[in-house]
Amino acid sequence: MLAAVRSATVFGVEGRPVTVEVHVSTGLPAFLIVGLPDEACRESRDRVRAAVLSSGLVWPSCRVTVNLAPSSQRKGGSGLDLAIAIGFLAANKQLPVEQLEGLGFVGELGLDGSMRAVSGVAPMVMAMGAVRPVVPLASFREAQGVVGDGVRVAATLREVVDALNADEPWPQPPDTDFHDEEPAPPDLADVRGQALARQGLEVAAAGSHHMLLVGPPGSGKTMLAQRIPGLLPALQHDVSLEATMVHSAAGVRLPAGGLIRRAPFRAPHHSSSMVSLVGGGTTSLRPGEISLAHGGVLFLDELGEFAPSVLDGLRQPLEEGVIRLARARASAAMPAKFLLVAATNPCPCGGGAPGVCECDDGARLRYLRRLSGPLLDRFDLRVGVARPGVDDLLAAGGGEPTASVAQRVAAARERSLERIGMATAHIPPAQLDALAPLHPAARARLRDQLERDLLTGRGYHRVRRVARTIADLAGADELVLDEHVVMALQLRVRLSVSSRERAA
Amino acid sequence: MSAIPAEAYVAALAGFRHMSVWRLGALLRLHPPHEAWQVVLGERPSSGLVAQALAAKGVRPAWRECARERGPMEVLERCAALGVRVLPYGHPDYPGGLLDDLHPPPVLFARGDLSLLAGRRVAIVGTRNATAQGRETARALGYGLASAGVHVVSGLARGVDGYAHRGVLAAEGAGRPIGIVASGLDVVYPREHRDLWEAAANCGLLLSEAPPGVPPEPHRFPLRNRIVAALSEVVVVVESRERGGSLITAAQAVERDVPVMAVPGPVGRRSASGTNGLLCDGATPVTGADDVLTALSFQHGRSAVLPADLRARPRSADIGAYRVLQADPRTIDGVALALGNGLVEAAMSLARLESAGWVAQADGWFECVGSPLR
Repeated sequence: MLAAVRSATVFGVEGRPVTVEVHVSTGLPAFLIVGLPDEACRESRDRVRAAVLSSGLVWPSCRVTVNLAPSSQRKGGSGLDLAIAIGFLAANKQLPVEQLEGLGFVGELGLDGSMRAVSGVAPMVMAMGAVRPVVPLASFREAQGVVGDGVRVAATLREVVDALNADEPWPQPPDTDFHDEEPAPPDLADVRGQALARQGLEVAAAGSHHMLLVGPPGSGKTMLAQRIPGLLPALQHDVSLEATMVHSAAGVRLPAGGLIRRAPFRAPHHSSSMVSLVGGGTTSLRPGEISLAHGGVLFLDELGEFAPSVLDGLRQPLEEGVIRLARARASAAMPAKFLLVAATNPCPCGGGAPGVCECDDGARLRYLRRLSGPLLDRFDLRVGVARPGVDDLLAAGGGEPTASVAQRVAAARERSLERIGMATAHIPPAQLDALAPLHPAARARLRDQLERDLLTGRGYHRVRRVARTIADLAGADELVLDEHVVMALQLRVRLSVSSRERAA
Repeated sequence: MSAIPAEAYVAALAGFRHMSVWRLGALLRLHPPHEAWQVVLGERPSSGLVAQALAAKGVRPAWRECARERGPMEVLERCAALGVRVLPYGHPDYPGGLLDDLHPPPVLFARGDLSLLAGRRVAIVGTRNATAQGRETARALGYGLASAGVHVVSGLARGVDGYAHRGVLAAEGAGRPIGIVASGLDVVYPREHRDLWEAAANCGLLLSEAPPGVPPEPHRFPLRNRIVAALSEVVVVVESRERGGSLITAAQAVERDVPVMAVPGPVGRRSASGTNGLLCDGATPVTGADDVLTALSFQHGRSAVLPADLRARPRSADIGAYRVLQADPRTIDGVALALGNGLVEAAMSLARLESAGWVAQADGWFECVGSPLR
């Protein structure tokens, strides 16, 4: 007998619909799965058989053939367990086949017949299209976040079978009036002093400018970086959905609401491999950290310690906002539009005030050279962070809280979106004069900087964009004023090699 | 064989691997140069220190190999092609100040005007990691001394050494730069000092213990410092930490009864800990070129002409920021906090001061540059 059940697998961050066809016939007892299953998928034979028996159902001695269509695509993971079990039961006439119409099944089975959550439920139910998904209880929020109402849940295989046989009603989904229970991100009020760095964070968030924090250990670079997501506005619906897909596909815990609404913050360690950062892997192309940071912040602490090849891998996604991975058998595109925030010491010893550094020039030069190159050019902001002084630490009261800074950021983002239709960081050089016109004093200032070799041509464009953002934050009208340019220059610290200052 | 001049042998021997100043000195004390050459080739027995050196691991084969690789004439011709003079100990032009030194160099290589060593000479040395203040002080001292006709001896290193010579060159006075370097005279180190290097060779003097082609090996720098001390009448340390090459120079100067002077710095500032330590030990403080000239017993009726300060006077609103930075280098946060101003006001003040040349910025820190406001 034959039955067909709708399900899906994940590839990259996309779900792919799969039809599970099950054929049960007389013959030598066997259980075959065909259609390019991977190891986890092939092992589902044993899980499914045990789960069926544990659920008080029958597994007669017969020949079972499962085909995962389309059979030319590789399938991975254990999410097809439920569909295979249901298909078998239907083909074995333990379930009415017509009841399967309009339903899609996703979930892993335990040997005791329980249903377990799998990663990638969000993209899978998305891919199944216009069917009511049946998912494990633990994946309910995730599925509901994507398709809205109409998600069926069950805790065990038995519950699904009973519901399909109309012996019992479908189990009630858990309470849906959840609150946004995500813990609030760390607040800027905790940061003492650091006026310049605060300004840097605000500008980075308002204009989507990539930022490099330069400062000695213990100066609070990580602490500052962690506070950027709180400054970014809530994700727009499409970005939120994309981010949810990525997190789901990667098996990263989703917030209680099912959808990622806050800007994510990812901080991979500097020993991270290329694949863990940009994504990849042999069968399913798992999304990497840059995709998990989609819509939010990717923080690379100790930038110079990352392998240069890994950092080079970031260049293309930084340009395009998407990472395209190609493998011999398949290729996938994953969203990767993030704000890059990196931190580094100014030199191997950590440095600090002039005359304090213990490094010789060679070591300093080598250290800076590790940072230099194409990636360093991508940072609009290069903010010097110093250890807060005693005065700062003892100053009464904390700094301005995140909430009020976030308001200014939101207003500035709106203003720039309204005026130029994009984040200021993305203004093409040719349109700078039209979109960020300079006050004559500001123009003179930049001219002076260029003439004294303190600014390069590339740095010039970056400073102008940053100045535009600062002007937007200040609520200034059309013209970018001298003070905005001065501030932008302050946010682009010059890294020096001893007495030989390098042009920025 | 006898047609080969003695200095050719000495120059070639100085470039050997495993050849130290002490070994070369011993070799040349025991044997005349052409015999020394036979000794290293193993054609003639030796005794004492030289025999000991030859018995050390790897020395004999290394020397023999070096001797085969490059003959004496080849080395001499290379020196001649580079305009480098070879001065073995005892040569008529060998610097007199080094003849009775504790550890005289067995051979010196020179470019430039050796007669400068007959003039008044002051060494200006200091850390390579100089602060903006230290660099300015070095430059001002170099300028002042050169204007008064004093030659400035230094090591051509980064930081203080380089800025002292830049001051000398800017003065265009009678004082000339004398550079004592650790590498061969054709191996410019640090490379960004090529201009200083050439200037010293062309209008001053460039001296080294190493033959052309020798790289700047770390052990050569402390040895170079003893020559700096020995060739100077006064050693001025501008900025130094608790340890550093300039303190080695000062110690060498003390051994040779050369007066040591030091530029004082703020107590507790790391960049001044070495110089302040010297002052505690009895060095004479230096606050300007005049102090050094006095130590040299110069009769100078008027102080050396300082270059006119062409910088625009800071406007009154910016003087506060300048005064804050005079006490200590600070970040912009520190300036804003000290002034009680907003970030923007501090940034504008600093930008105006920086473009007028009153302050300099590196790694996010601001420092005062040049003479203080009067």
